[in-house]
Amino acid sequence: MAHNHSNEDGSIGTSLHGVTAREQVFSFSVQEDVPSSQAVRTNDPTAKFALPVDSEHRAKVFKPLSFAKPHMRAFHLGWISFFTCFISTFAAAPLVPVIRDNLDLTKTDIGNAGVASVSGAIFSRLAMGAVCDLLGARYGTAFSLMLTAPAVFSMSFVADAGSYLAVRFMIGFCLATFVSCQYWTSVMFTGKIIGLVNGCAGGWGDMGGGVTQLLMPMVFHVIKLTGATPFTAWRFAFFIPGILQIVMGILVLTLGQDLPDGNLSTLQKSGQVSKDKFSKVFWFAVKNYRTWILFMLYGFSMGVELTINNVISGYFYDRFNLTLHTAGIIAASFGMANFFARPFGGYASDVAARLFGMRGRLWILWILQTVGALFCIWLGRASSLPIAILAMMLFSMGTQAACGALFGVAPFVSRRSLGLISGLTGAGGNFGSGVTQLLFFSSSRFSTAEGLSLMGVMAVVCSLPVAFIHFPQWGSMFLRPSQDGEKSKEEHYYGAEWTEEEKSLGLHEGSIKFAENSRSERGRKAMLADIPTPETGSLAHV
Amino acid sequence: MAIQKILFASLLICSLIQSIHGAEKLRLFKELDKGALDVTTKPSREGPGVVLDAGKDTLNITWTLSSIGSKREAEFKIIKVKLCYAPPSQVDRPWRKTHDELFKDKTCPHKIIAKPYDKTLQSTTWTLERDIPTGTYFVRAYAVDAIGHEVAYGQSTDDAKKTNLFSVQAISGRHASLDIASICFSVFSVVALVVFFVNEKRKAKIEQSK
Repeated sequence: MAHNHSNEDGSIGTSLHGVTAREQVFSFSVQEDVPSSQAVRTNDPTAKFALPVDSEHRAKVFKPLSFAKPHMRAFHLGWISFFTCFISTFAAAPLVPVIRDNLDLTKTDIGNAGVASVSGAIFSRLAMGAVCDLLGARYGTAFSLMLTAPAVFSMSFVADAGSYLAVRFMIGFCLATFVSCQYWTSVMFTGKIIGLVNGCAGGWGDMGGGVTQLLMPMVFHVIKLTGATPFTAWRFAFFIPGILQIVMGILVLTLGQDLPDGNLSTLQKSGQVSKDKFSKVFWFAVKNYRTWILFMLYGFSMGVELTINNVISGYFYDRFNLTLHTAGIIAASFGMANFFARPFGGYASDVAARLFGMRGRLWILWILQTVGALFCIWLGRASSLPIAILAMMLFSMGTQAACGALFGVAPFVSRRSLGLISGLTGAGGNFGSGVTQLLFFSSSRFSTAEGLSLMGVMAVVCSLPVAFIHFPQWGSMFLRPSQDGEKSKEEHYYGAEWTEEEKSLGLHEGSIKFAENSRSERGRKAMLADIPTPETGSLAHV
Repeated sequence: MAIQKILFASLLICSLIQSIHGAEKLRLFKELDKGALDVTTKPSREGPGVVLDAGKDTLNITWTLSSIGSKREAEFKIIKVKLCYAPPSQVDRPWRKTHDELFKDKTCPHKIIAKPYDKTLQSTTWTLERDIPTGTYFVRAYAVDAIGHEVAYGQSTDDAKKTNLFSVQAISGRHASLDIASICFSVFSVVALVVFFVNEKRKAKIEQSK
């Protein structure tokens, strides 16, 4: 549920707020008379910030090279924490050729462990929203980092397939830092730029999946040089991500700040605030069919990306007889493409929206995801190394851009259940990864190459449902917007999430304001409307 | 962008290397002279159900030209002795698969020794190394010519790879010092978190009571 700073304090679990970065800044409203929900007022009215801030003390500018307290510091601590967790979750993947010999694993064992590594986060991501609400973003992040660090270290104890799977499952829980990172940036940055900020945080964090493919073989090699045998060296190599997690956890707790004005526990909540009911928020998220289409779509963009993080290094090592090092470099390139590809996807979605409205966003999403999947099919069929690398790079750019583009659409699906839908979509990514690994990479039925091609085919097929996402006010890929006078209004769509009783209490005002601002999704025609539409970025993503 | 440029450059280099190496790849296992060498293995511990320990037990391996011999004996320059996976250790493990194409064949990845070819009986005692995985094995000796291509081979088991196999148990790779370090770091992580948490709650209470 997006954090509407005028009147809603999400109750526990509702506030994956800002996860999508559609928080609106309303040019004419200064909500001084309405108590702010997140207990922001300090005693010092002349609080000095390094960056220009809005009335809620959220930064209005994004300066990636600055570490200024508290905004940019929160951004950097947030994305680096998320990055560290990606490193830990996929740290085993490039070392599998050594681990499989040590633990006598079969292909089935390896595949199942891969499924386990992404499954934990399905639940932890959903729970993290509640944790951030209760304890603040710092503790949400720190909990995730420091409570899963023991799981990373316990790779020293692993002796067989079962314990290997259990440890990878537990390490996977730390991917919940995605939610806490996005939550943190949303309280620190204003709505106009939150798209770019979240896009960078998400994309740079995802890069961890690529960096780990380089880092772990390198660390393993260095440890071997000191005289350790391979079967001990790989266990020791896991100490690096583990220690990184502890260090980041401590940095987050000491250098970070929950809110622009201070930490959650030392600020006092002022005034009466209305909390939205979790049951209502949950119901409207689940009832909306578009949520489930996005769930599936993200499962085959981010899901495919997570699966590739697990299998690609071993694939290049085995199929092309490369060294662990070289396979790691190639595999790393896949994850590193996130640095540009994901923000590009969001940007492309924005440009398409400017020209063609929501219909443009949906087409861009479908095109990027399908093109990525087609290159995945090609990757599986490539039998020479240069072609395989080329196919992999094109595949990575398409799929990662699709992830970014999806979060150009997600914020508009619901206003009331915004955060929960983002959380569900995010969980869908992990779910899709689990499914593809289970189907194609966990048995000897398909070779890895065949598995890649089949996964690409499945992704193409499962990207088709985007054609069914229809907004009465904006249309869909193939259908025009509704001609009906009532239904063609954005207010009707977003107002439908509130009952008459709630409307009479004025609880839906945030949705109405959002509806007004979303008229830009009509495309060029919106330029003719007399209500000025604020520029909104849409690079928010999970 | 820098990454794309590097990748493109490496692509070009890879394709160049590939075209140079292209001709070599199609040498097949079935074209080698079978049974040209008599290979025997004698593990340091024998008996039913005995599993050898990697890093500790040894193999006494001997090889010589067999009675069948080989038409290409004149080309033998070096004998490469390797440790090979038996079929039970290849099940559900495609990275150990037997391919007819020698370049792709993954049956014998572990090098034991390479000695120049000698018509007399050669032997060596080899300690099972600490990176040998758990599994069932046999030993194969390839006769290699002057340019490094395999010409003939002999192995310690039959053609079906069923007789005279031995089992190895790998080292665990675990170490007491590693275990202790792991526990220390884990405890530190959890305790640090709890300390920070309790401290902050206490400070908040003090603030509130002011």
